[in-house]
Parts: sequence; C-alpha cells; structure tokens
Amino acid sequence: MELNVNGRVHPLDGAAVPPDMPLLWVLRDVLGLTGTKYGCGIAACGACTVHVDGQAVRACVLPVSAVAGKAVRTIEALGTPERPHPLQAAWIAHQVPQCGYCQGGVLMATAALLAKKPDPSDAEIDAAVTNLCRCGTTPRMRAAIRAAVRLR
Amino acid sequence: MKRRFVLTALGAGALLVGWGAMPPRSRSGRRETLPVVDGAVGLNGWIRIAEGDGGVQLAMPRAEMGQGVHHALALLAAEQLDIAPGRIALFDAGADRLYGNVAGALESVLWFEPGDEGRLVRGSRWLLAKAARELGLSITGGSSSIADAWDVLPLAAATARAQLLGAASLHWKLPVAELVVSDGVVSHPSGPKAHFGELAKAAASTPPGEVALKPRSAWQRVGHAAPRRDLPAKVDGSAVYGIDVRRPGQLFAVVLMSPALAGRPGALQTDRATATGLRVVRLPPLAGAPAALAVVGPSTWHAMQGARALAVAWQPAPGQAPDSRLVAAELDAQARAALAGEAGFGFRDRGDARAVKGVRRLEALYRAPYLAHAALEPLNCTAQVADGRVRLWAGTQVPSFARAAAAQVAGVPEDAVELHVPYLGGSFGRRLEVEVIAQAVRVAQETGGRPVQLLWPREQDFMHDVYRPAGAAVLRAELDAEGRALALAIGSAGDAVMPRWYERVFPPAAAPVDLPDKNAVDGLTAFPYALPHLRITHVSTRSGVPVGNWRSVGHSHFAFFAEAFVDELAEAANTDPVDYRLGLLKALPAHAAVLRRAAQEAGWGRPLPAGRARGVALHASFGSIVAMVAEVSLAGGRPRVHRLTAAIDCGTVVDPGVVRQQVEGAAMFGLAAALHGRIDIHDGVVQQRNFPDQPLVTLADTPAIDVHVMDSERAPAGAGEPGVPPLAPAVANALHALTGRRLRELPLVPAP
Repeated sequence: MELNVNGRVHPLDGAAVPPDMPLLWVLRDVLGLTGTKYGCGIAACGACTVHVDGQAVRACVLPVSAVAGKAVRTIEALGTPERPHPLQAAWIAHQVPQCGYCQGGVLMATAALLAKKPDPSDAEIDAAVTNLCRCGTTPRMRAAIRAAVRLR
Repeated sequence: MKRRFVLTALGAGALLVGWGAMPPRSRSGRRETLPVVDGAVGLNGWIRIAEGDGGVQLAMPRAEMGQGVHHALALLAAEQLDIAPGRIALFDAGADRLYGNVAGALESVLWFEPGDEGRLVRGSRWLLAKAARELGLSITGGSSSIADAWDVLPLAAATARAQLLGAASLHWKLPVAELVVSDGVVSHPSGPKAHFGELAKAAASTPPGEVALKPRSAWQRVGHAAPRRDLPAKVDGSAVYGIDVRRPGQLFAVVLMSPALAGRPGALQTDRATATGLRVVRLPPLAGAPAALAVVGPSTWHAMQGARALAVAWQPAPGQAPDSRLVAAELDAQARAALAGEAGFGFRDRGDARAVKGVRRLEALYRAPYLAHAALEPLNCTAQVADGRVRLWAGTQVPSFARAAAAQVAGVPEDAVELHVPYLGGSFGRRLEVEVIAQAVRVAQETGGRPVQLLWPREQDFMHDVYRPAGAAVLRAELDAEGRALALAIGSAGDAVMPRWYERVFPPAAAPVDLPDKNAVDGLTAFPYALPHLRITHVSTRSGVPVGNWRSVGHSHFAFFAEAFVDELAEAANTDPVDYRLGLLKALPAHAAVLRRAAQEAGWGRPLPAGRARGVALHASFGSIVAMVAEVSLAGGRPRVHRLTAAIDCGTVVDPGVVRQQVEGAAMFGLAAALHGRIDIHDGVVQQRNFPDQPLVTLADTPAIDVHVMDSERAPAGAGEPGVPPLAPAVANALHALTGRRLRELPLVPAP
C-alpha cells in the first residue's frame, strides 16, 4: 500500500509492513518520523496523536491499513520554521513544555479542535485535550490555547 | 603482625589528615580535558570556542529531563562570557571526574537540625564535598544541578573570558581593563575588534591572571526569565529523546519480564517468534532487573508481537512473594515499635519527648502507598557493541554508572564506552537506574555489531519499576491544658532507599548492613517546628519490593505525615494553621517568610464561597523552602482542587520562569499522587499495568496555580523536587477544613 504522510506519498513494502501494524510504528520505525511518540500503546495517553483527514486520532491502536488513501499529518508538519502554527508560537510564548515528550500529541489534539472550533469553550477544550502529561504542564495549556485563538 | 597493622593504620590516618588539609581539587579542568574537535579550541574542562564563528561550546554533564537544566547552565556560562545564550552550543561531557556532582552527594548523606550552620555542619560539608570531588560521580538528581554548578561553571566561564581578553591584550598591546566584550566580540574603543574564535588559539596558551566573577549588580541574564533553549524543538517534533535514536542498520527489541516481581523465565516456546524472523535473547539478572527475555526484530511492533506470542513458563522468585497489604500491616507494627523505642534509629532527639506527659494526648497513624514513576517516555536504551567498543544512546541521569554497567556487561574497559545522552522524556528518579542500559548492551552483543534499541513496553515499565516505598508513621503529641503541644514523638517505618540503589547501580558503595538512610525519611528529619521535646525514630525495613528514588524521595510522603499532623496540632490548640506554624518558626525566619508569602498571596483568611475551603502546608527540602495553599471542594464525593498558591525560597535564582515552571509541575506531580497514586502488589504481582489503572490529572481537572519566587542572595538550592512534598498535606488539610474529617492515608479518598 501507499501512505500519504505530510503531503508525501510513501510506498510501503508489504513484507515489512503488515496491514495490522499500527500507524504509530510505521511512522516511527519505518518512515523515521519520530515526533509521534509511544507512551502507553492503548490509546490512553495521547502522545501518539496525529491527524487523519483532519481528525485527531491515536496512532498506537490504528492499523495502518485503516489510513490507506487518507491524508496523515504529524507534528513534524503542523507548522514550518517560517510559519509556525499559532499553537506552536503560543506554546513557546507561554513556555509550556518541560520534558516535551507529550507535547506533540497535545498540540495535534488541540490543533484539530481549533480547526473545527476556532474559539472553543472551556468544556470543548477539556473534552478534546485529554492527553496525559507527567511533568505537569497542563496549568499553562489553557492560557496558551487562548493566546493561539487570538493569534489566528 | 599487630605492629604492622598499627603502622599501616597510622600511615593511612596521616594520609587522610594530609588529604583533609589540602584544598579541594579544582573542577575547572585544563585545556587538555576536552578532546580537540574540528575547528574548536578547548580552554578548560567546560568551554570550547569554535574558531570559525566564535561560538561557545559548553560541556554538558547534566541530563535535560524537563527541568530546564540545559537552559540554566548555558545562562550561567553566557553571563560570565558576555555572549548570547543562543550562541552557546552544548555537547555531551565526557567521563572526567570533574563533572561529578558534589552538591548532590552532600544532600544525600548529611542531615542536621534545620537552620544549624555551626562549625561542625560547615566542616562536615567541606570534607564530604572534597571526598565527592575525588569520587567524581556524574549524576543529575537531588535537585542539585544548579547548586553544584554554581561554584564551578561561572568560574570556568570567567576564566575562559579572562584568557580571551588576555590574548587580545597581548595581540593588540592594549590593557585588558580597556577592552570590552559584547556578544562574543572583544573590542577596544580605538578600533581593534575580534570575535572569540579569532582569539581562541592564543587564549588557550594565555594564563588567565586574576579571574574575577561578575558581581551580582552587573548580572544581565542570571535572575531574569528567558525562553528555554530546548522548547522550539519540543513543539515541532524534532527533539530527539532516547527512544527516537535511529542509527544505520538499527534493530528494535522489547524486554519481557515475569508478571511477578523478581520472577525469571523458565522453559520457552519460541516457535512462533522465530518463525517470523525474530530473535529471542535470554538476559541474566542485571543491575537490579530480574532475569528476562528480549525479543529482537525489524521494528518495535514486530518485537512486541513476538513477545506476545512467546509461551513462557515463568518461575516465581524463591521465598514469600511481596504483598503490599502485608507490607502495610508490617509498617504499622514497625512504626509503633519505633515510637515505643523498641526499634529503629533516632534521627532527631531534642529534650526528652518520651518522658514529658501532658494532660491530654493526640495520636494518629498515617500511611502512604508504593508509587510508580511513570515517566511518559518508557525506559529504553540504544546500544552498539562492535570492535571491542560500546556505543550507547541513553537518556540517563547517571553517566558514570551507565558507563560502568555497560563496560562490565561487555567486558571492556570503561574508556571503551562512548555515551550519548539525548533528551529524557521525564524521569523523576527512574533513570537513576542502569538496568535497561546493561540489558541493551547484553542484547547488542547478539546482533552482530548492529545497533539495537531496547524498549520496556509501558506494562513492563509499570510492573518492574523501582517504586517509591510505602511508609507509615505514628505521631504522638502530649498537650497541655490549652491544647498546645509540649512534646512530639514520631515512630515511622519504610524501606531504606539508598542502600538498595547502591546495590543496583554502584555495588562498591553497598554496605553489608544498611546504614541509617535519611533519604528514606527526609520528610520527618526536616521537621522545622520549635517544639521543646521532639523525638523522631525510624525503622528502615526491607520489604522485598524494589524501591528507588521518586521525585523528592522520603520527603514525598513523610512530609505529608508531618504537615497533616501539624494541622491536627493547630486544631488541638484552637489556633489558625498559619498562625500556629508561625508561632513555632521564630528561629527560622526564612521558613516563616515563605509561609507568610503563600498565605498572603492566597488570601488566607478571606471568606470563600460555600463548599470551598483552604488548607496550608510548609516544607523544606533540597535546600529550598516551599509553602502551598490549596483551595478545594468536593464534587460527587471526589476532591477537586481549584487553586494552588505557592511560595518558594530556593536561594539565588538563575531563571525565575523555570523555577515557577518546576513548582507548577511538582504540584501537579504531587496532585496526581495525592488524588490517584497507588501501586498495589498482590502475591508479588503489581496490579497497575498502564495509565488507566494509574490516572494522572488531565487538563479538565487542573487547578489554577500561582507560584511566587522569593528574592534571595544565598547560594542557589533545589527547584525540581521541593514543590512535591507540600502538595498532599495542603490538599488534605483543606479537605479537613471543608469536611471536618481527617484523611490520614494517601491517596486522599474521602469516605462516602
């Protein structure tokens, strides 16, 4: 099959990539896109969040065959150095990350929310951003999300 | 024979006295300390200058695990060198002992009466610091990195600056005093100008002369919040953690250990694993990890599938399997025995706490469970063994022990081990261990020279952690007619931490019997209140459960016991909890100032809406003092924390933004533990296997947190850990204020 990631089409070797291999491990161990993280393997922590056709999904439990013909976007393509996503700029302005391991997943979950709801309510943010952060950076996230809303 | 022994002992004694009288060995290092790399000139053990653009390259011996240490150490160098922090690049420091962490060693061994700065205290610190310098163990831990760097890195940077200025002065024949440095460029008002790189070669052979550190009044960077250097890469997916290391030809492996602690794999059905082209490697017990299996494949997922397919006959460890329910009962009994003076080591003994009798007695039993670290990046290490050399890419807090472990497994000398330390996806003390490193090297011996990344899947990470030990304490106060405490006696129990850690990571330091481990019970040994009669006796137990250093170690639960009981004492004395504490802190003005600040910023005493209440706690750890006020309610029977107000005195602050970030994070770390944290072990099997079993606090339940950093000119102290201990008692005390009921066991689950 072919995999469309960040606007590039990658042919996948069927022998090396069985259809039930989760998207997470195809991204990380086959394509070398390591920005998407493994945290739990059971869709509990959100560190592996990517966009599939604009929807935030947890890639650790998503078989790669399920994304055939769909557009996958990872944290590496959320913005560019010249044009960072407003959330990335806000995350820096508010100095959100500590270890940073969960942040790619948090940003992808939040970006998918903002694409649908440009000015989400607190309840909508709470429902969309359920990622786990062990360093305790959540106290800064809400203010950073609000700042990104203003930047857009 | 006897005479020879006496002479030897006298000789050794004389040597020791002689050694003791010499000043500590310098930690600046020489220009030869740093390997010469293309176009970069080493000036000392910390600073290299790139000849091309004059950029500074700083040796980085400390692990960036979220605490901002890379940013902070670069700021210290930038301040003295007068160069923008962005023009300082970091590289992995080597194995030289000058990178050893002296401050961390002090914190982990010594304990004194809070506030005691007498000659004995200062002398002990000085001597131990010298010994730690000789040992030179490179460790990131104990919230000690800034305290440790403070006497070393600014001096190395200022020395480098003096050499660069000296070189310019000789070259231009102009006095040093007339030269100016601005962002890495040295100039003279009369015209001559050169960047650091153009001066580097000459500087390397120019003696620095008299080196003066910039006075505090001239600081331009230290003390001001600045954007962290590591964050841009952490928001665009480009930051490389240990798990992200990718080398040419790399293989992927996962570890599989017994469901029960310390069990080992017996007979093995490997057909399915080997049929899919996977490889199974048997691992002996290594650095504390039990015997295990590693499955090697072309991707992590292939290896995980292979591990799932293995049919293993697991053999239990001999003897009684550890069980947290039995441990809890044993700890209660041991704490009572300690209180009765029948067992344990007396860490504090002031007055005569056991003889004093009041008119009334207040006694309570407190308990805390085992806890897991659960850093979001599971344990992993990438290793390559080829041509008699070992290459390691490991997110480790302990480079010295990592090298030693790798060398031992591979049977090579330590200088044949090359260590790269990528970012750590959290750690909280977990990566003070080296078992995954030893295991990865063992696997890499079987891969024909190809690099291999060994991962502990999340379930293995939870089920084979080195847990925060469970603990218990019985606190007994004798009260006078007004309810004021005359005497406090505390008996406590819990596993020793440091002896178990030494056995795993540094066997030369493991003693045949456990010495009193103050780290395991620090939350009590730091008791600051001026009760005339105080006795603290602790029984160090050995439960058989692997235990380790968990963010703030023995402060994390024993401070809960102390500060929640102090709240009980305030209630018994019918006194406001803040006023009560202040009344007993007259000899410790810094403690009192921090408490006052937190109370004031939180609006302590101001009315709250119905259904809300506040609680306060104060605790000093790792050289810093933190007070916290929590504002809580109950929602559907569950505690909800709405607001946290903290004040911290951590001495001189390098970057107040990072300090605030650390205290916020520590509070959230403490909150997850206070509300949800527990590890249950039934018949040797850890019951919590992944995050749903062990919830964290998500955005929806996150309180607003304000952190206030006190101005101070004393030497810097810890910032990463001190915010953890006061959280649980502040929340518990608030819940008491709300409901009138005391919760004396963690996690805080109100009775229905």
